[in-house]
Order: sequence, then C-alpha cells, then structure tokens
Amino acid sequence: MADAAGPVPPKRETPREHPHSATEGEEGQTRALGERAVALAGFYQGKIETIPKVPVRSLADFSLWYTPGIAAVCRRIEKDPAVAFDLTGRWNTIAIVTDGSRVLGLGNIGPQAAMPVMEGKALLFKFLGGVDAVPIPIQVSSPEEIVETVMRLAPAFGGINLEDIASPKCFYVLEELQKRLPIPVWHDDQLGTAAATVAALLNSMEVTGRSIHEVRTVLLGAGAANLVTARLLLKLGQDPHKLTAVDHHGILHAEREDVDELSLRNRWKFRLALDTDGGGRKGDLKDALLGADVLLAASTPDPNTVSPEMVRSMAPKPIVFALANPVPEIWPSVAHEAGAAVVATGRSDFPNQVNNSLVFPGVFRGILDARATSVPDEVVLAAARELAARAHDRGLTASHLLPTMDEMDAFPHVAAAVATEAARLGIARRRRTRDEYYEEAKQMMSRTHALVRELGRAGFVAPMPDEPRSETK
Amino acid sequence: MTHPKESPHEDTHPINAPGIHLRPAQAGDVPVLATLLVRLKRLNEEFDPLLKVRADAEERAREVLKSDLSNPDALVLVAEGTGADRDKVVGVVRAHLRERVFYAPEKEGVILDIYLLPLHRRRGVGEFMLKETWELLKARGAGVITAEFPTQNEIAARFYAKRGFRPITALHARQV
Repeated sequence: MADAAGPVPPKRETPREHPHSATEGEEGQTRALGERAVALAGFYQGKIETIPKVPVRSLADFSLWYTPGIAAVCRRIEKDPAVAFDLTGRWNTIAIVTDGSRVLGLGNIGPQAAMPVMEGKALLFKFLGGVDAVPIPIQVSSPEEIVETVMRLAPAFGGINLEDIASPKCFYVLEELQKRLPIPVWHDDQLGTAAATVAALLNSMEVTGRSIHEVRTVLLGAGAANLVTARLLLKLGQDPHKLTAVDHHGILHAEREDVDELSLRNRWKFRLALDTDGGGRKGDLKDALLGADVLLAASTPDPNTVSPEMVRSMAPKPIVFALANPVPEIWPSVAHEAGAAVVATGRSDFPNQVNNSLVFPGVFRGILDARATSVPDEVVLAAARELAARAHDRGLTASHLLPTMDEMDAFPHVAAAVATEAARLGIARRRRTRDEYYEEAKQMMSRTHALVRELGRAGFVAPMPDEPRSETK
Repeated sequence: MTHPKESPHEDTHPINAPGIHLRPAQAGDVPVLATLLVRLKRLNEEFDPLLKVRADAEERAREVLKSDLSNPDALVLVAEGTGADRDKVVGVVRAHLRERVFYAPEKEGVILDIYLLPLHRRRGVGEFMLKETWELLKARGAGVITAEFPTQNEIAARFYAKRGFRPITALHARQV
C-alpha cells in the first residue's frame, strides 16, 4: 500500500503553456496524485477527529462535564439562548453542508461520494482558520429540503458553510437560509470565489492605473461565482452599462431569446440580464471583448475558449482572468503575448492564483470571533479589500496580485477586517478593537498549527507511509 | 365611445403611461408583434409539455395577427417605448370579443395574449395595459373580462387575482 503510488515531486513543474500541447504530462501527474490520495485516504481513514478540550483527571470529573453538573449549564442556555455561544463550543463550530450536486469538477456525485471533499474542507478550516468544522453531506431531493435540513441543524452551530451545491439552486438555498437563520451562512463557490476575484481585480486595476467606475468589464460564464462577482462589482461602483456577461448562449441582455425562461429558472441571472442589458451590446464573446478593459472568465476548462485575437481586441494593457480549473480559458503566456498586462488563473503553478482558500478561513475566523449574526456583502467586500491590501506586504506587482497561501499572516488580517466590519455594521454580538480581533485570530490559528505539529511529534498523527523520511516543517 | 363595425380600432386613441405609449396595431406592426407573441408562447412552453411551441409558430402568429386586424371582434394593441426607446415596440395585447351563448353577461372580452419585454416590466406598465384593454373591451359591450394563460403560470395567476379576477372555467388536457 505504501508504495502504491510512489512519491510525487514536491513542486509541480510548470505545465507546457500551449493551446495545442494540452498536457499529457499534466494528466499523468493528476492521475498519480489521485492514486496517492486514495492510498492515503485508506491509510488515515478520515482527516479529522474529535478530541477533548477539557482536562479529565478522573472519571469523577464527568460529573462536571456531563450529568449531573451539566444540567445547570443547560438551564442557563434555556433561559438565555445567546449564552450558548459562551458556554459551549458553538461559537467556533460550523457545519459544512452539501447535497453533493456539484462536487469539484465531478458534477452530481451525491452526498456519500462528496464526503472526502467535505473532510478536506474541514481540515482547511481547522488548519488555516482554527475553525471546528463538521462535514455534513445530506441526502435530499429538493432545494427546499436543503433549507429545511440546515434550519434544523442550526442550533448546534455558529455558522454554516454550504459547499458544492449546483447553480442555480445554490442561490435560492443561500438566500433563503441567510434570510431565516440568525447565524452567518456562506456558500464558498459563490462568495469565496467572488471575494478572491474582486480582491485580485482591485489590485489589477491599481497596477494598470484603472478605476472601477470607468472600466468596461466582461464576465465569461454566469454561474455561481460570476453572478456574485457581478453583484459585488456593481456595489463597488462598476457602471452596469459597461458590464457585459457572456455565457454559452452569447451576451446576456434583456431581450435575449431565453430571457423569459431565465425569469422562471434562474432569477439571479435574469436580474443581471436586466441590470446590465449586455452592457449595451449583443452578440458573442468577441463582440463583448472589443475594447474591454477586463475579462473575468470562469467558464469552461479549455485553453481555446479565449483566443489571442480576442485579447488583442481589448483595450490597451487589458486585465485577463482565466479562472477555469484545471485548465484556464487561455494559457497565461498566450494572453501575455497578445498584450495582456495582468493575467490571473485558478492554478497554483502560475502567478496570481485566484483561490477561495485565501478567503474563507479568515472570513469564518472573523465572523465567529465577532459572533456575527450574518455575513452581508459589505463583509465580503471587507475581506476582498483586506486581501488586496495584504498583497502590498510583499510588494504589489502584475505577477503578485494576491498573497500566496504561504503568506499566512493574510488570514488573521482578513479575519480582523471581517470582524471589524461586522462590528461596524452592528451585526457583531461580540465587539472588540481591530487589533484585538487580529491578535485573537492569530492566536487561534497558531494554536492549531502547534497542535498539529505536536500531535505529529507525539506520534498520534502518523507520518505519511509513503514518505519515510518525513520531516515536520 | 363608438362601436364601429368596420374598423375595430378607431375607438382607441394613443394612450400614454409612464415609460410606454399604447396604440392600435397596424399592418406594419405584424412582423415584430409576431416575434413578441412567440416569446410569450415560449414562456408558456416552460409550464407544460402540451404547450410545446410549433416550429412554424412565428409564421402562424403573423397570419393570426393579420386576420385579427380585419376582424371587428378582435383587438390588438401595441406598446411602444418612450424617450430613448421611442417608436420601439416593447409589448403587445391581443384580445377577442366573444358571445356567451348560455350565460349572462352575454359578451365576453377575452385577453388572449399580453406580453411586455422584461426591461419594461414591474413599473405598473402591465397593469396599465390590462386596464386599458378592459376599458376598450367594455366599451365594445363586454360584460365580463377573462384572461387565458397556462394553469401553472402562478405569476400570471397572482397578477390577475390581485386585480379581482378569479378562475371560472378550467381547461384540462391529456395527450391522446
């Protein structure tokens, strides 16, 4: 078992950036990675576990941690439900809920098969944000059932993270739960990705000397992430008449053939069609990009989706985000050759990775530390702005638009910005200064890192069986 | 108001509401009105598989509209935009006067089609179009106004219910 997959090179090689040499090597590498992941999943049998956080000196202590002593704690909460956040772990515990209807690029694989992703997400939540996250894939047959189920689970949690739910039902589910629950509800595929995109875009505009009020922006793809990105851009001052969304039917405008159908099936996309009316344009992607300053592509993993000619037709020094995974809509080198001043992708092996993992740990750390009752767009924007600001720490350039995942200090900074914004909006049950929020967040995060390190050192977490000379970093 | 037999639309003068301008249809309007009617039928298609739109629907729509224009018991109104959208056709209403053989009131004004481009909705324009239509039908002797739309179209059902309409007959279908 240990040598099933063999070691994988520690650093992925830069893939061949050519539209026609679409990456046999990449595929082989991905396959090897997958085989190794399966082997390790079988070895560890789960990625997180519950560990006590109170001393147990003898069994007698259970009269405090459990009955009879605990009854008094229950009564306190019964009298004043708000103290649940002080007397139990609710303040730092969230649910990761999925129906398994759109898992990674795998599509509708169902709740059981979605579990490995949810466990992985829980690990990221803990490691990067110090958040205790419980994976809860649920068997449901309608969006209403997701809403009902989460409503019933909510008393145990300080926040809800929806994960891998198909569009457009994810919009309904998020909107409904945000309306009905007194705790923050987040859908990473919408809010996390949009926040990271906006952060990178703010810095791209700074690098190329542009203002959000003036740019002509094209969104390619009108799914979970881009619909929210559009909403955030409009809130930041993007002119709706200079915003053009394009999907596989072409430019989304108010008189498109399918617009009535959208009014029934996807009212979020319908709303965008009316608000922007195609940015005054009709036609296809080519028509949309003519003279545009910004392309935000979150569509199909095919490097020929956006051609060099299209990039050349954009305004001088255009901004090109090709965020499809695992293959961007245009290879960065091709986009640069065609004149793009700034290029971002969803991948870690190119500069400027737009990655929702830069956002959600800090966001949850912040909203949990503030005991926020919701997570409105202002908070999402605060996270985006802070992330953009943190890129300046190592110097903002066209190839360093966002902090990378190893710039760990970005996380507590995002947390502090989020918590402070929640306090400013009056939705924080617990108000502290920004510095206090920052210190707390940093403390929570470094505690987890120390914990993981110590568990490994003491042998409670086994070293990877296929890496015998494992050294803790 | 007069009730001319020959030219059914002489009793309608251009009427203005915020954002639109309503007038009787003319022969030149037929092509664009046909596309709006097909849009409406495509919307209906969403509600039931038995409302599947035919391939030749637009051609048929043109024929139906042409025949309506010479039918004294038919009413076709065109909604045009104002301001920047001046002279742009943004909506259509199609209605027929029918005799009710067994019931009183004896004359029924049936609103067959009412469609407005999405950008022009939600500003009270639909309501304005409905009210104008029913006034015109009333002026031609209708004692009851009815509206036809797919049973599953809850938005339409709510729109009419809010304005005092209630379901009186039902059309049940099965494929054979």
